Amino acid sequence: MNYFRNFSAAAAVVALATPAAAEDITIGGLFPFSGTNAVYGDVLSSGAKLAVKHINADKMLSGTLSIAYEDTQALPQPAVVAMQKLVSVLEVPFTLTSFTGVSKAIAPIGARNEVVMINGGGVGPDLAELGEYFWNVIPLANLEVRASVPYVVEALGKTKFALIYVDDPLGGSIRNELEGVLEEIGGDLVSEMSIAPTAQQFSGLAAKVRSSGADAVYIASYGAQQVQIAKQLRDNGVDAQMISYSAYGVPDAMNLPENEGAIFTAQAVTLEASDPVTKRFVEDYKAEFGKDPAPYNVNYYNATMLFAILAQALEAEGKEITGANLLAKRKEMGSFDLVGGNVSFLDNGTLLFPIDVKQIEGGAARTLTTVDIK
Amino acid sequence: MLALQLTLTGLQAGALYALTAVGFSLIFGSTRVFHFAHGATFTLAAYLFYAVEAAGYGFVPGLITSFAGAIIFGLAIDWFIYRPIQRDEGSFFTVFVASFGIGIVVQNLIGIIFGRSFVTITSPLTRSRELLEGVYVAPLAGIAFVVALVCLGALGIFLRSTFTGKGLRALSDDPELVRVFGLSPRRLSAAAFVIGSALVVPSAIFTSMSTGLNPAIGHHIMLISLAATIVGGIGSIPGTMIAAFIFGLAENLSLLWFEPQWSEAVVFAILFAAIIARPSGLVAKSAAH
Repeated sequence: MNYFRNFSAAAAVVALATPAAAEDITIGGLFPFSGTNAVYGDVLSSGAKLAVKHINADKMLSGTLSIAYEDTQALPQPAVVAMQKLVSVLEVPFTLTSFTGVSKAIAPIGARNEVVMINGGGVGPDLAELGEYFWNVIPLANLEVRASVPYVVEALGKTKFALIYVDDPLGGSIRNELEGVLEEIGGDLVSEMSIAPTAQQFSGLAAKVRSSGADAVYIASYGAQQVQIAKQLRDNGVDAQMISYSAYGVPDAMNLPENEGAIFTAQAVTLEASDPVTKRFVEDYKAEFGKDPAPYNVNYYNATMLFAILAQALEAEGKEITGANLLAKRKEMGSFDLVGGNVSFLDNGTLLFPIDVKQIEGGAARTLTTVDIK
Repeated sequence: MLALQLTLTGLQAGALYALTAVGFSLIFGSTRVFHFAHGATFTLAAYLFYAVEAAGYGFVPGLITSFAGAIIFGLAIDWFIYRPIQRDEGSFFTVFVASFGIGIVVQNLIGIIFGRSFVTITSPLTRSRELLEGVYVAPLAGIAFVVALVCLGALGIFLRSTFTGKGLRALSDDPELVRVFGLSPRRLSAAAFVIGSALVVPSAIFTSMSTGLNPAIGHHIMLISLAATIVGGIGSIPGTMIAAFIFGLAENLSLLWFEPQWSEAVVFAILFAAIIARPSGLVAKSAAH
């Protein structure tokens, strides 16, 4: 007992005598690590992990930065629980988020508690309207549809579209946008089919696509489901041009032989740029993960780096790192040097990029054209 | 033509559902264990086949590994999870929660071992050919249908003609009586897990080739199996088989009138209607046995 008391007293003296270390800083990371969209967990978080490594190596902040990752399964309900934990228990001022449904579910919690939420993966157009604490570092789906569909109609001559869309906020917004764009450019939406987010059997759907006479089919889904749709469409005799959006930019979709020739969109990021931020990111990403970075990796690297830039500026002024202060600092600074160059936010908290229309060829994406969206 | 096409795809889906659902029904009917981890057996069998096939060993070694893995997994759960729980308190719900938990653990372990990505086995058998104008059928669909009928027919003969089969049918009614006739309820329970787990293997293999795999794939098929077991009549093998085919057809033919997002809802609408109209199931248990 005496030994324990002496040890405790000695430990207390040592603790009091040691100079106070800078306080470590934690931000949140809401990604799917299980369920049908689990493949995105690793893809989305890898850019953020590299950013944390760079931020800590450069000692940008007074303490060590870390990300508290929470598994959302890409579903709103687990995401709300995870967000409550980040806000109430870990008291983070800033969190990375992904997926449209998840982001819409957590936005009121973040806004109420003045926590900045930054999205680099969800593309539902509604994400531009979730309040000033919600930021996007990815172009939203309405912009992607405006880039790919005119290209397919005008350059490839495909005018009869079938749409397969997941029954959630993302799918609904793509349907609305597609209807509008096709009307503008003289194409026809000959068939539209909504699917449950959990559906896995699509051979019947393929029969409906075939009978509609569509020469192009837009797939507005994500995760394992979008790849299953593509495979089953091809297996069941659908030879129409397949089109999708940035969720297609994952290895699962690229590596599927049935996806050869499929077209998808992604924000244009000049990874060949000579600025030091981009060069360092590209070189270190290749060294760390053994492959070229994809747009999602860039987005979450940028999102995490943006936090560090803002927090560093706040610390330099002796201000506390809170969501409200981060928001005020972003508005004050205006533009940022991130991967891809110097970027500025729109008033609604969204970064605007040109959009690449890409085609899958031999398991890789080749850019067909780059479209400036206004 | 669309109706004919959807009927054919419905029969294929029904055949795959029937194999999994009948395995679940056999285990539940014989042992009264709500084996929700049957979905995990399905996923495990599919991934084992994929692993062997992707490693270049070919179809037959993949098939054998898949059968061995599914059977060992089913037996291991019975021996090391269900029996100790039943020995201590025997609560139906404790066993159910344990089974549910196993499903989640297996799903995550598969994700860790095989990755969380979508995987598939490319085969010319999955490519449809146009039989009639506008009607496409893949060779795999026909194979799946025939294999399902053969497996289910063989199971029916086994249950009606063999001593063990008759024991399995009697087990849920009166384990004591089974003992009097010189059969061990434990051995029969093990036999139920062996046969039930083995039945998912053809379905798992066909699914890995036709729709592809991800670690969560067992969940949907388990829900359908559960619904088919209830609609068919709990413990009724013929009833479960008929219900599974009805679900496969309903899922696909519903596309003639409804959006695809309602296809799963149609299955559960049938479930509710069946429960209200015929609570004992399509095939009464006495007839089933």
